[in-house]
Amino acid sequence: MYGMIHRGIRNMVQDKLGEDAWFALEKKIGIGPTELLTGMVYDDTLTLEIVSEAAARLNLTVDECLFEFGRYWIDYASRGSLSSAMELTGHDLASFISNLDRLHLSVGMAMPGSRLPNFNLALSEPGFLKVEYHSQRTGLENFVSGLLYGLIERFGLIGDVSIADSTAGKVVFEIRYKDGHA
Amino acid sequence: MLVQLTDIQLGKLFPAYLLLDTNFQLAGFGPSIRKLLPGLQIGHAFDEYFDVISNDVATVFDIPERPNHPIEIASKCGNMRLHGLAAQQPDGYFLALRHVTTSQYLASQQLELTDFGYADPEIQAIMLIAVQRAMLEEAQDTALELAFERQRYSALLERTSRVSGYLAHDFNNLLSIISLNTERLARAPSTDGKITNLAQIIGDTAARGSEISQSLMALSHQSSETLSALSIDDIINENSAFLKTVVGSKVGLSITLHSGSCKAVVSYNGLLNCVINLLINAREAMPDGGHISLATTVRDGLATKIDDGAKLSPCKYIAIEIADTGSGMNEALLSRAFEPLFSSKPNGTGLGLASVREYAIDMGGDVWLESTPGEGTRVFLHFPIATDAMIRPDDPSVQDQSFDADQNERSILLVEDEPYALEALVEMLEMEGYFVTPCLSAAQALEALETRSYRVLLTDIVMPQQDGAELASKACIAQPGIRVILMSGYVPETAALQSGWMFIRKPLASSELLGLVDKLM
Repeated sequence: MYGMIHRGIRNMVQDKLGEDAWFALEKKIGIGPTELLTGMVYDDTLTLEIVSEAAARLNLTVDECLFEFGRYWIDYASRGSLSSAMELTGHDLASFISNLDRLHLSVGMAMPGSRLPNFNLALSEPGFLKVEYHSQRTGLENFVSGLLYGLIERFGLIGDVSIADSTAGKVVFEIRYKDGHA
Repeated sequence: MLVQLTDIQLGKLFPAYLLLDTNFQLAGFGPSIRKLLPGLQIGHAFDEYFDVISNDVATVFDIPERPNHPIEIASKCGNMRLHGLAAQQPDGYFLALRHVTTSQYLASQQLELTDFGYADPEIQAIMLIAVQRAMLEEAQDTALELAFERQRYSALLERTSRVSGYLAHDFNNLLSIISLNTERLARAPSTDGKITNLAQIIGDTAARGSEISQSLMALSHQSSETLSALSIDDIINENSAFLKTVVGSKVGLSITLHSGSCKAVVSYNGLLNCVINLLINAREAMPDGGHISLATTVRDGLATKIDDGAKLSPCKYIAIEIADTGSGMNEALLSRAFEPLFSSKPNGTGLGLASVREYAIDMGGDVWLESTPGEGTRVFLHFPIATDAMIRPDDPSVQDQSFDADQNERSILLVEDEPYALEALVEMLEMEGYFVTPCLSAAQALEALETRSYRVLLTDIVMPQQDGAELASKACIAQPGIRVILMSGYVPETAALQSGWMFIRKPLASSELLGLVDKLM
């Protein structure tokens, strides 16, 4: 994955456990600033090693950590340098998800070598969305669940995300939500 | 060719399209228009909601006169600005419009990607710029982080280096005392073979301890090399076969040595490393082969080009010149050639020339380059010749007539703050026939300098109150003919060493020290 993701994981660990915890993690797996270069594409095994180590420190399973990181990533990207791109991507949950591929198109152009997934909003009804996720990568379903949950929170909604179906290269997510202010 | 699209498809391609009938009433509009003007309905008159603001098409009524013409419109309520093409159709007009994409407009109207057609290149470019801007911001953060890391690393290295230096100093002092006194023990007449054996064991163990202190010194970036007056021609001659191997089989090397028996105060390996570094640079400038000439001569003039405001005096110096027939360097490369970590070679470390310069300056000399692109590069490496005062002074004015000539010839002012080391050194030097004045501090030594003249000042560097380098400077002013040998297990950065002074590293090896002293007498 690209270095921007690694930076996101670092910020999550720093936010939740403090800077020393991240330094300890870096020391344990032998990484440093050169593994946090935004536009650099790193091997997935390194990313998963970082997530595993973060999970151990956060007292979470790797799947729980991936979910938490997905959720954190939306907030992190909204607050950080990607905020204007996020803003343009959509102002409500359905629009945002339906425009994710367009956002990824730009990310892919800016970061050659990144293997970005596709999202298809297969069904949109009041309070319910069905999202098809296609990726060359496997094992990131919990990260995507966390991302979708993070989006629910971003738009002031409450709800949950579940996996309705999972086959090779394709996972179907169902999102049930309602207005958080209602 | 006629293409038929559903309203939804049309809305995806042109989310801000307008469809007008021949009376300029709205017959349809895209989803972005619906979102931003929720009150708009089919049948409403175009000019109730919009103004045409383009120059060529003054009002919507001009459209029939100028079919298929660019048009720009704004909503009367001020929340929309659209531009595009007005196309005439059999039953009215199709306005293929899109939102203008100024950043101010994008931000103020809270537009999102859905308000732009899927194939709209402009919005794709805007997204790309937003992502690239994000990357740039993060890259700036990363650059700061890397700079901070480097600073942190340097500070840590400096601390480690300093601690290692102090440890090495103390350790070397102790080892010096052990070695010197073990030698005394071994020298003492004894019929007891066990004492000789024990002295041997202690001596060997001290030597092993010395190896450990070498590691500590390496960590503190201290050179452990002895500085003495050496013939540069001899060093090059002794290593000429190896130097030919360094340049490789594709490059010819001619060596012409004319500095003869002239000597410069240098360290043997330090000088050799400089020559090797310069030969490697020359070789790499000629990947397809060529020729290198290595020559030494003795010249008069300024040995250095350094202009630090200090008054430079002309002197005799040994000039080493290494010339290659390689690609040469342009002005830009030449001006940065000695910069640490700068290299024009893909795998270069940028340390070779920088270390040569550092060494040359430390030895009181200098190094510089001259180069012509396409013709080659010449390196000039200069070292001041060790003056007679450094080797064999014979200045009668500084000799004290109250002492006999022999005593003056072999007089040593010895300064060492470790009493046990001082005692051992005095005994060793006196056994060799030198007249030694021992002092435990620089202050004592300065008093001694007022009472008589000395041939050699042999002093420790790190001492309380006043260090040996400071003492040596004062001694050279008081007695210009005095020759200086500094000894230490650690040379702090604050010690201002002068070129031409000899240096011997602790723990002291008596044979090396006696050899150095003998050369100066």
